[in-house]
Amino acid sequence: MAVRRSIFSRIVALAILLSLALVSGLWVLTDQTIRVTLEGSARKAVDVDLAGLADIHASSGREELERRIRDRLAITPVDGAAPHYLLADANGARIVGDIAAWPKLDADISESGTIRIGKGTTAFARATRLGPDLQLIVAREPADGGALLRRVMLVFLAGGALFMALVGGLGRLAAGRLHWRIERINDAFRDPEEGRLPPPGGSSKGDEIDELTAHSVAAIARQKRLIEAYRETSDQVAHEIRTPLMHLDGRLTKALAAGTDEPITTHLIGARTDIKRLVAMLESLLDIAASKARQGDRHGLRPVDLSDLVTRICELYADSAEESGHDFGWTVEPGVIFRGEEVQLSQLVTNLLDNAFKYVPAGGRVRLSLASGPVLAVEDDGPGVPEGDREKIFDRFYRSRATEADLPGSGLGLALARAIAERHELTIGLDPSAKGARFVIRGEG
Amino acid sequence: METLKILYVEDDQRAAGEFQELAAVRGDVVAWERTGSGGLLRAGMEQFDVIILDRMLGDLDGLTILRRLRESGVGTPVLMLSALGRTSDRAEGLDAGADDYLAKPFEPEELMARLRALCRRASGREHSAVILYGAFECHVKARTAFRQNRHLPLSPREFGLFRYFMENAGEVVTREMLLRDVWNMCFDPQTNVVDVNVGRLRRKLEEGFATPALETIWGSGYRLLDGR
Repeated sequence: MAVRRSIFSRIVALAILLSLALVSGLWVLTDQTIRVTLEGSARKAVDVDLAGLADIHASSGREELERRIRDRLAITPVDGAAPHYLLADANGARIVGDIAAWPKLDADISESGTIRIGKGTTAFARATRLGPDLQLIVAREPADGGALLRRVMLVFLAGGALFMALVGGLGRLAAGRLHWRIERINDAFRDPEEGRLPPPGGSSKGDEIDELTAHSVAAIARQKRLIEAYRETSDQVAHEIRTPLMHLDGRLTKALAAGTDEPITTHLIGARTDIKRLVAMLESLLDIAASKARQGDRHGLRPVDLSDLVTRICELYADSAEESGHDFGWTVEPGVIFRGEEVQLSQLVTNLLDNAFKYVPAGGRVRLSLASGPVLAVEDDGPGVPEGDREKIFDRFYRSRATEADLPGSGLGLALARAIAERHELTIGLDPSAKGARFVIRGEG
Repeated sequence: METLKILYVEDDQRAAGEFQELAAVRGDVVAWERTGSGGLLRAGMEQFDVIILDRMLGDLDGLTILRRLRESGVGTPVLMLSALGRTSDRAEGLDAGADDYLAKPFEPEELMARLRALCRRASGREHSAVILYGAFECHVKARTAFRQNRHLPLSPREFGLFRYFMENAGEVVTREMLLRDVWNMCFDPQTNVVDVNVGRLRRKLEEGFATPALETIWGSGYRLLDGR
């Protein structure tokens, strides 16, 4: 069976990708929220601190403020969010505090912003003017969110992996079940003989696939019934016609054995020949019908060594070609194997050869070639086929050429050849040729 | 010519009657069973040289009977007889374990010839290095042929044909048997290709001799004569 891309594995892959995107998105959102919240709390702390210090300055004066700032700088807070201060004069020269230089913050408008403190440390800060020659900056490093963010990442990684495994697992399970149900229908169509599908209305849940299954069961059953009806009818026709013919033939044989009068004997032998021809025609018609009915059905086909088969047939025809004055030759590539019904394939080849020897006059050339593919060609330098007849000659009972040339035959040989070719997924046709006819059978692969 | 003990399973009384008439001429003993189950029972109880089985019987399908026979270990050669002459039917019959398949209508001679060929094949008598019949000699290994001690210049194809006639010496050999056993084809091209091949062999066998070597049985086959 050819490798196909299953729709179900694609759906599972898509579900996994989607859940990956969802989990990543949620994580980024959570991370951002935490960062914003931490920054907000630093901002609030700075503002509260600044307001407190401004109050102290207003109520207790500058010395008290300096003292308080020194006190606060001496304490190391437990949460690690260390505050920083800078009390400076109007020119930004430090009076007290641990910030080295006045940053670009305008105290007149109480500007706030992120400033640099030492190497690689940033902090949120706000400046304010306390008096004409006094301005203050309060800054605070944001609380250490690293640990929290790492914890959140871990939760998302573990949770996300679990979630995706769950989605993948459940998806596969569901897809596997769906795949099995669809594949059962495919199998049933691939091999209708097996009858693997349950009868409709069994353990049905009534979803779309159950409906499809029911339709498939009905279609396969209908196909089987048609084939059976066809076989039965054709078997009966064959039986009902052949049996009386056999009895008739038996009577003719007895008559032949009893009487020896010359004209009677000739007529009796002629009658027996007619019976044989009738039976042959019936067989051909049934073979054509059977081949058409089984077109595309690979059942009962097995590997046939075409090279060997074709060589045997050519050897069989060699003497009779010589006898009838034909120049007959063949080129067979060894080891050409083809899946088919051996008897039918022999019939196909002999029908083409019979056709060639029938129309090519004595002294003419007939060539057969077989190459891998398979490509089988039967070529002659006889009268050829008129342009307008190139398709019609494969029709049943079409024998304009034969009628013109007054040749015997049922007009079924090429129709049967085509039916057999098509039953084997081969094409048969007339290739354009300069002289005579060139019949070519080709494998589709 | 030795006589055969034949079991004939056939629901067509007329066909059975005609066959019995024909067999009686040759001295063969025919046991006729009208139904499939009867035939199956009889085949299991008695020893036959060959069984003729109609494919379409009233009660049981011929293929089913054949399968049951083979399953129960009955190895007697079986010739399947049928009005179903389609190529696929033949293949199906042979696949089911039939040793030969003959479509109705058939020449009575064809049936008798095939029955004898079947029995010969079953007894394995054809495998000898030198086959002698009348004035003919066939040296299988050396691939040479003689008539009245004179070497016959046969081509490889002609020798194959000659050898088959020698293996079936004195018996009727039909076109279908030749196609199947000499050319390994279970299909009759309906043209005179076989007759042409036999005609050539005949010329080689008769050239320079006063008596005929091959007899044509009109309708279907040939018989090798003793050549004396």
